[in-house]
Amino acid sequence: MKMKKTALQGILGLVIGLVAAGTMTFAGEAEKMGEGETTLYKDMFDQAAYSEGMNQLDLGRWGRRITHKTIPSADINIFDEVPDSSFFTNRHARQKMSAAELEKGPHQTDGPDLSKPLTVLGAEQQGSHYGFVVEDAKKDQYILRFDPQGAAELNTAAEVIGARFYHALGYNVPQTTILSFAADQLTAAPDAITCDNTGFAKKLTQTLLQQYLLFVPLPQGTYRASASKVPAGGDAGTFSFMGRGKKNPQDIVNHRDLREIRALGVFAAWLNHHEMLESNTRDAAVTENGKTVLKHYLTDFTNALGAATDGAKEPMFGYEHMVDYGETFKSILGLGFWESPWQKKWKRAGEKTISPAVGYFSNDLFDPAKYKNLLPYEAFRLVTRADGFWAAKSMMSFSDEDIRAMVRAGKYGRSEDEDYIVKTLSERRDIIAKYWFSRVSPLDQFVFSGTELSFKDLAVAYGFVPREGTLYRTEVVSGKKKITVLETAEPVVKLQPEWLAGNSAIKLVIRTLRPSSKKADPSVTVLLNASGVQGIRHED
Amino acid sequence: MFRENKLEQKKVLPFFCLCLLVFAASVHAEDKKTDYYAPLYAKPLAKSPLKDAVSRVIELPFKIAKWPIDKSLVLTENYRLDKKTLWIYDQLIENGVKPRLDSLDFTGVPAYGAEFDLVRIARQKERFPDFIAKSWVNHGVTSYFQAGGELGAQRIGETGLHVSSIVQYENRRDETFYGIGPDTSRGDSTSFIEEKTKVGAKAGYEFSSSLDVTAQVDYNHTNIKNRGHEGKGDITQIFAGENIPGLHGDAYMDFSIGLDRDTRDSKEDATKGSYQKLLIKFTEGVASSPARYFTYQLDTAKYFQLASPRRILAARLFGEFNQRVNGGNVPFYEMAKLGGSGMFPRQSQTSRAFVYNRFFGESAILLNLEYRYTVWQYKEFKMKTVVFFDEGQVSKDFATFRLNGFRESYGTGLHLSYSQLVLLSFNVAHGREGTQFYLENKLAF
Repeated sequence: MKMKKTALQGILGLVIGLVAAGTMTFAGEAEKMGEGETTLYKDMFDQAAYSEGMNQLDLGRWGRRITHKTIPSADINIFDEVPDSSFFTNRHARQKMSAAELEKGPHQTDGPDLSKPLTVLGAEQQGSHYGFVVEDAKKDQYILRFDPQGAAELNTAAEVIGARFYHALGYNVPQTTILSFAADQLTAAPDAITCDNTGFAKKLTQTLLQQYLLFVPLPQGTYRASASKVPAGGDAGTFSFMGRGKKNPQDIVNHRDLREIRALGVFAAWLNHHEMLESNTRDAAVTENGKTVLKHYLTDFTNALGAATDGAKEPMFGYEHMVDYGETFKSILGLGFWESPWQKKWKRAGEKTISPAVGYFSNDLFDPAKYKNLLPYEAFRLVTRADGFWAAKSMMSFSDEDIRAMVRAGKYGRSEDEDYIVKTLSERRDIIAKYWFSRVSPLDQFVFSGTELSFKDLAVAYGFVPREGTLYRTEVVSGKKKITVLETAEPVVKLQPEWLAGNSAIKLVIRTLRPSSKKADPSVTVLLNASGVQGIRHED
Repeated sequence: MFRENKLEQKKVLPFFCLCLLVFAASVHAEDKKTDYYAPLYAKPLAKSPLKDAVSRVIELPFKIAKWPIDKSLVLTENYRLDKKTLWIYDQLIENGVKPRLDSLDFTGVPAYGAEFDLVRIARQKERFPDFIAKSWVNHGVTSYFQAGGELGAQRIGETGLHVSSIVQYENRRDETFYGIGPDTSRGDSTSFIEEKTKVGAKAGYEFSSSLDVTAQVDYNHTNIKNRGHEGKGDITQIFAGENIPGLHGDAYMDFSIGLDRDTRDSKEDATKGSYQKLLIKFTEGVASSPARYFTYQLDTAKYFQLASPRRILAARLFGEFNQRVNGGNVPFYEMAKLGGSGMFPRQSQTSRAFVYNRFFGESAILLNLEYRYTVWQYKEFKMKTVVFFDEGQVSKDFATFRLNGFRESYGTGLHLSYSQLVLLSFNVAHGREGTQFYLENKLAF
């Protein structure tokens, strides 16, 4: 069932291989730099069996667990932000994107050019239906994915919406659009191949193609697919969420220690994207400033929101890993009477999904701390408080209207479905942000005026905690000497001119004190001199 | 007009200058504005190992072992070997060949075989959909061989009536024997070779998909060959002086009638429903065989859902009573037997803390209770934990059953299934004779 996705990637690989064959030099470069291929089975074995076992033999990991130490992200700059890289480009959180930009997503074309029939280069069975790789009149290639029977819009909308969100958050994703077409707008290429559930490749004929379409829903007389543009550049396989790409000279930091990779776990929880998998990534070799570099893509979001392969999301997805030793052990000890949250939730939902297009997606019993990806990647477990805060801050940069703009790209037929997705994502954004903001001093947007340092308390700004009663305690430290401790009710620290006399720098260690909490929150350290803010660091 | 324009210009000029000033100021401010996303690092980005040196050394042998596994998995997926294998299996079934794989015991000694639907193989299934012509071969390494065939019709004239004839040869090379009765010693063990040929005919009526009555007549010829066991003597030596009927084999006729009712949702891993199997059989020795007895056998099980399909209480009751007639006897190899997991190709009934064929008796009574609960689920895959209790006893007849003759087994296990098809079952059972382990691909009931 999950196999189907990988199968399409197989066809994609094949097609990309064919394209690459035409540009051998480029493909050669890609191969030289790529990390190779992580297929789903390998990914499952590596994560669910091998890594879970090896984690128990990792002395450093045990040491960290006992001493409650964390591994700080290694790619953050002095301001506790993630600079742009081949993995990530700061977008909406840095500069608000317009509603039109958000809805459009990564935009190179308006989608497949239907002025002439699309040429189908390959097809692969995906459970009950097929996925296609097509080429349009402009010679652009797309992967067409469909919805299963009885669940029109479910996967196609999830794919397009998921791509919009990850793009706006800053990740590289393929251009993905909703495509409506008639049966006669698809033509099998003379050398097209297909692979059905027999596992054997065979020639794709026009008759077979039309037969395949019989398994696809046909709402309002046209077929609906998500069209995902094959990224330009030579295919260099997938990338790891753990180690760095050793063949790629630009890839210096272990991916496990990249904040943007760790935060994928948080973003996946937001989008209910339980299949954030290495096998769903893609590296493409592109030329930038005359140099060949690898660009790291996230692909395939058909299982985001309430969707899963071949239908609505299974109730346990998001609550348990595929092989979850801890949960299984609890169940064994519970003699079958211990009910996991997903079971309670499923019961409370009356064992019903929301609608065919939405699938199974709600915030009932959703706990951001306990969201689990299908496979237990260590990177997602290593999210520190600072990483979580960064991710939450990025999520909160999206207003409800921004979310609606991106959901609109999914082109739901019923406004109730669109409203439900917007509402659920908005609520979930707040739940996640509230959780991470409560674990740090959620202070941001530091501005130094020369005499005072002002900042924004995001938890107050977004209405998660009341302004009344919140205090900001600041330790002013010069060198190793604590000069004073200030406590203010406003998010402002007034500075004495002598503290910044000459070119001396001071360190302000700021903590929030909430009326509901007896303890001060973890600190934010701001490094300051007369010319301004020199560094920011949220406590891990 | 011109004047007005001049006036306008007079007003506009200072405003324009002011704008320029504001713009210049803002540009200057922008220049000074900190770029919080700049690639400025506290220390240069550097390569670092994922683990400490000691952990890396510990991992090394595992890493070496992982490499071929990863390569095989990638190969499997890229060449779609999994799909191809499934397709080949489906094709075999479609074309009348049904492979089977069983396990004889925990050592994983496999029993394998195949059933051949000759009608399908001859491509005549569409023409003769109700015609039965099949044969089978099953083999267990070193200990078991079975071959047979069946010819008949599974439906006559659009009714539930079915008739068929059967021929089967079976050779069991290592059947253990510990004596007859509930108080035998496990130390007194030996084994025998059982070679059985059966020719029979049966006719029945299927009232519905869950209810069937079948009458059967069989001619059986059994050869018993004694052999040593674990360096010990054969039956005649170990049980010298004891009356063990059928020690040299027999030839006999079986006349039986059986009622089968089955409402389970799955024969492999039921979560609801029940089954009842009632058998009444008369056995009459032919030639010089003294075998002459009635067999009454009831095998029934019910599956209760405890407020959820994830919690199942399965209860099974088995009773067998062999009643000698007119001074005849019951050959020891046809007696009721208890011990082991009770799964094909084994013959003795489920009493898991005891070894296979541990108890022989003319009568037997057995209760199996299993609590099965789902502990893991991924799509159609399920893993269940099972806690079980077996209580059984063999005896000469029902009147001689006694409370202290019961032998209990208790234990636990894990079952892995896909879409109610059991893939793997691991059980451990404990009783007064120690602990037994089972690794199989079926459930006891």
